[in-house]
Amino acid sequence: MKKILASFVLLFSTLFACQFAVAAADLEVNTPAISAIKGSMQARHGQLAAHYASGAVGLTKDGLIAVRDANAVPLKDRASLNAAVAAENADRSKLYKEIATANGHPEWQPEIQSTFASRWIDKAQGGWWYQGASGWVKK
Amino acid sequence: MNTFIRIALVLYASLLPATAYAVSEITIRAASIEHPQLEAKNASLRFNLIKPNSNLTIGAELKPEVDKDWTTLQIACTLTQASKPDAMDCGEGLIKNAAVNLPFSFEIQQLFNQGEFSLSKLNAKASLQLKNASFSDAAGLHAAEKLNGKVDIAIQRQGLSWAWQTKLDWQTGELFWQPFYVESAGHQLTAAGALTAGVLDVHRAHLTMRQVGALDVSGQLRLSDLKLIALNANLPNLNLSAAYPLLFKPFLGNTAFNNTAIAGYASLSLQIQNAELKSFDLRLKEVDVADIDQKFALYKLDAEIPWSYDKPEQVSVSYKSGSLLNLPLGKTNIRAEVNRFSLTSPNITLPILDGALNLSDISAARIGGEWYWHLRAQLQPISMADFSHQLNLPIMSGKASADIPLVTYSNGLLSTDGSMVLNIFEGTATVTQLTMRTPMGIAPKLNADIALRNLDLGDLTRTFSFGAIEGKLDGDIEDLELQNWKPVHFDASLYSSPGRYKKKISQRAVENISALGGGGAAAAVQRSFLRFFEQFNYGKMGLSCKLRNDICEMSGVESTPQGYVIVKGSGIPSITVMGYNRTVGWSELLARIKRVTDGNSKAVVK
Repeated sequence: MKKILASFVLLFSTLFACQFAVAAADLEVNTPAISAIKGSMQARHGQLAAHYASGAVGLTKDGLIAVRDANAVPLKDRASLNAAVAAENADRSKLYKEIATANGHPEWQPEIQSTFASRWIDKAQGGWWYQGASGWVKK
Repeated sequence: MNTFIRIALVLYASLLPATAYAVSEITIRAASIEHPQLEAKNASLRFNLIKPNSNLTIGAELKPEVDKDWTTLQIACTLTQASKPDAMDCGEGLIKNAAVNLPFSFEIQQLFNQGEFSLSKLNAKASLQLKNASFSDAAGLHAAEKLNGKVDIAIQRQGLSWAWQTKLDWQTGELFWQPFYVESAGHQLTAAGALTAGVLDVHRAHLTMRQVGALDVSGQLRLSDLKLIALNANLPNLNLSAAYPLLFKPFLGNTAFNNTAIAGYASLSLQIQNAELKSFDLRLKEVDVADIDQKFALYKLDAEIPWSYDKPEQVSVSYKSGSLLNLPLGKTNIRAEVNRFSLTSPNITLPILDGALNLSDISAARIGGEWYWHLRAQLQPISMADFSHQLNLPIMSGKASADIPLVTYSNGLLSTDGSMVLNIFEGTATVTQLTMRTPMGIAPKLNADIALRNLDLGDLTRTFSFGAIEGKLDGDIEDLELQNWKPVHFDASLYSSPGRYKKKISQRAVENISALGGGGAAAAVQRSFLRFFEQFNYGKMGLSCKLRNDICEMSGVESTPQGYVIVKGSGIPSITVMGYNRTVGWSELLARIKRVTDGNSKAVVK
């Protein structure tokens, strides 16, 4: 029992240590790589915004996006929808990596990514879809 | 015996009395039929036997075990002629559920040769016409809308195999079959072959894609596991501008080639045996390809690229002109040997501006889906004047040349062993430890060390309109890192070269240097009595900057309690320029340099 208790204490302290580490991470850090990635995402946002609103694309719980319902998009736009989602996810992954690197802690990437995941969902407009604990939820 | 078969027997039994006793109509209804793989409800079959308009109507709602939705099936057929009892014309067919709406008509012209009603003598001809059909899978990744097309099928029994011929005419409609999108139709397929013991043999198939070109295929497919036993494909004349969006772009995803304009023709033939690519031969004829974001372009590209799994082949590629990141590329011929998944070439010369990039001892290999390569690179002198002009830099004089004994590329990282020497401003700039990551990607990264030696300050200050300085400049820029071609990290120091030479600095340059240091009192004091001199003597000068986190930590040739010395005077008239700000924001420093070199605003000296 003591052993279990000790391992719980250890587990919680690691969890809090992780949180503390990420709390210390500067998520607004800027480097030319980060601003290039943000610029590329900004340019793509115009194309994606309509798809968020229609529910074709939703925000995933791991800080990426996914095609939720391609049927909301005309056939001729589906290939470019898939391409835009893939490109956006490549940019997002690169962004989390660059922010971790710019903070001098590449190993923080997973925590930064999950912090961003909840940020994106908080910032999402009403009517957009996001992935909750048990599937897609309309905000 | 399962339920399904039992119902089929009941149907058969009720047809027999129909013929014997001239029953005019047979109707069979079943409220529900259950089977492990299929459920049916409201099934009805109506057989009207009154000639000459005998007809058959079938309706049912079906639910395969794997689906959760019911599918409606309706079909109405007339059994046309007495002379052809096996002919059937089903004008109004419909398969419909939440995801599928397939109105169709179906016609069986014959099933057997006249008088030979035996399966071994089967000779069937049928055609299916889709009328504004649409379907979609749940994810919407395989879908069609307003599809109109006709399929003709003929099947004959020949000994142990089935011979078949088909013709597919896609009239109108659009189709998305992830990742392909095809619209506006006008595509046709004719094919013939045989089906023997589970192997589909395509003797010949001819596909015409409107505006794109024609494809001829023959081959064998094992149906049990969809294994391609053999495939020969031949695309004799492919229009690349029409084929690019249709066939290539879906595969190029996030690569550097996904946003290009392409024109010209290509031919391709390929052979597959036992699901392995055995050989192909790709030819490009007068192809123009240009990145829409102007990262690269190649014009009049010709290529002969044969490849074989079994033997080495000679590859040749040539282009008349092109550009890479704004640098013009001259006429180039490339020859190389491909040996399965590796490529070697003793020498490739790429003319760039008035010089050339010589690549030698080239060896590349594709291992586990990634490219690895190494080569030796020599840059024959190119004029800096042209180079700086092309890149929109201030026009520099001199020549750039380089010799890098080993360039390696592995896992997305380009690294160099050796040095690149640029002969500029009558001195040298030596670049070593150069590495690059994703140079064509969205956030390219470059790392290098740069050593500047004996640059002529007269040339340099004239080029960047800085205010005249006479003398020579050395510099060391270590641990330089560029992201997206902008510096994010370096330890740089610029200082007057050691040795004896004329050291003069103009009034204007003094003001500018003071301005770079953030403005200072020193110059102002000296200006009061030195303002009438056009130029001054200096003993040494130097300025260094350690760039970290967008902040430049500055120092000079000497430190003083108040700040640091940037220009140390010597002789008469002499001048000393001090800097006081030890830290300056990098973007602020760039803005100051821009103000100074633009000369639009006079530097502020208090």
